[in-house]
Amino acid sequence: MNSIKTIKRRSAVSVFMAVQKALFFRELGMKLSVGRLGFFWLFFEPFAQVFFFILIRVEITKHNGNQANFDYAIFMAIGFVAFNMFKTILNSSKGAFQANKGLLNYKQVKPIDTILARVLLQLFVTTCILLIFIFIGFILNYDIKPQNLLMVIIGYLWLLIFSFGIGLLVGVGNSFFESIGKTVNILSFGLLIFSAVFYPLIKLPIIAQKILLYNPLVHFMEMIHSSYISTLDDRFVDYSYMFLWTIIPLFMGLWLYTKLQKKIISQ
Amino acid sequence: MIILKDVTKFYKTEHGKNYILKNINITLPDENIGILGRNGAGKSTMMRMLGGIEFPNKGKIISSNSFSWPLGLSGGFVGKMTGRSNVKFVSRLYGKNRQATNDIITFVQEFSELNTYFDMPIKTYSSGMKSRLSFGLSLAFNFDYMLIDETLSVGDAKFRKKAKNALLDKIQNCYILLVSHDMKILQELCTAGLLLHDGQLYYYKDINDAILHYQDINKGKK
Repeated sequence: MNSIKTIKRRSAVSVFMAVQKALFFRELGMKLSVGRLGFFWLFFEPFAQVFFFILIRVEITKHNGNQANFDYAIFMAIGFVAFNMFKTILNSSKGAFQANKGLLNYKQVKPIDTILARVLLQLFVTTCILLIFIFIGFILNYDIKPQNLLMVIIGYLWLLIFSFGIGLLVGVGNSFFESIGKTVNILSFGLLIFSAVFYPLIKLPIIAQKILLYNPLVHFMEMIHSSYISTLDDRFVDYSYMFLWTIIPLFMGLWLYTKLQKKIISQ
Repeated sequence: MIILKDVTKFYKTEHGKNYILKNINITLPDENIGILGRNGAGKSTMMRMLGGIEFPNKGKIISSNSFSWPLGLSGGFVGKMTGRSNVKFVSRLYGKNRQATNDIITFVQEFSELNTYFDMPIKTYSSGMKSRLSFGLSLAFNFDYMLIDETLSVGDAKFRKKAKNALLDKIQNCYILLVSHDMKILQELCTAGLLLHDGQLYYYKDINDAILHYQDINKGKK
């Protein structure tokens, strides 16, 4: 009993990095191990979605002859990929605390790590999907060159932070009031239609524009669309509105989380 | 050393708060500690709090030691993933490098005797196989303190013997926090005792005194 070796302490940062790395590969492994075709479905799903919406769009424009001055395929691809990133983060954050209860037996894993890992995974998956889309576009001879690549990247990363804030807030709320999760389910049902994902806001009547602009996602979509496609502009985008929608949920979420972390763990 | 500072822990029930600890101040020296108490007295919670996995409602528990996860616990395993990748996950969680990870994997694979099952999804395992895996996993890591919650017997008779010997070997180099109803095991493995009763915490330097007190409580005396 005298020869107790004290285990070497690791710094807080290296513990955090190790946990994130472990969780990231775990989540990736879970995604990829859905049957034998996990990898295929991970990327085929968004592709199929965009494809069908393009088909519908093409049918509509055929009938009313309303030709747009930009490429709808590209427009929809970047819109859907961005929207899916948001939606997946929102959905997976909702139950992240409950789903990962077992992991809390490892002292270094905190509930927020599980949400953060899912956000990072989503960043990785989104990047892969975008690259695949660009590759497909390249092969099919689309004009895939973005108008302002830097702004596109900023738009995506900003949306990611926005999603993390909302997701954290929902995650914390949902672990105390399940109705929050249910409400989010209902809300996210309509979000796809009301978020300017597959249409530019400028094509809508002014009254509809005014109402939709209360939805922060519309600003994100307009920003991403307009920075990719040269014939669109960001006249509707209110950057300070986006900023408020990013930091208020994020800091509220972090504040509530630090207050309630021990309660969430002990639940 | 584990220091408890003004620690209060309770659970909310329909009939009000059910106290496990009430304003406890104590310093526990480093040794093998057995935790005793009747069903529902909060032994497991106590062990988890000392190990830093759960937290008191009030007060603080301070220690500079490292603590394991509860021995043989399979929480956090992903059914869809293989035994190997689950082991890999845990060793990543502890920041092990490639070499150390490979050592851990080799050890767990040999110890658990899962053979080809080691590379199959965990959901195909029987409960005995699963606990063999998690027992081996626990033994593959080093901590100052090992948390053990009545899971000393796993698998069939042959494996049980092997597991017990491996554990006895292991605790030569670390301390344990042991929750058990088995007085014989407590006497065998622990030097000090913690007794939980009615929100009070009694510390005994000698495990045998703790056992005597516990038996008195069971007989209905105070």
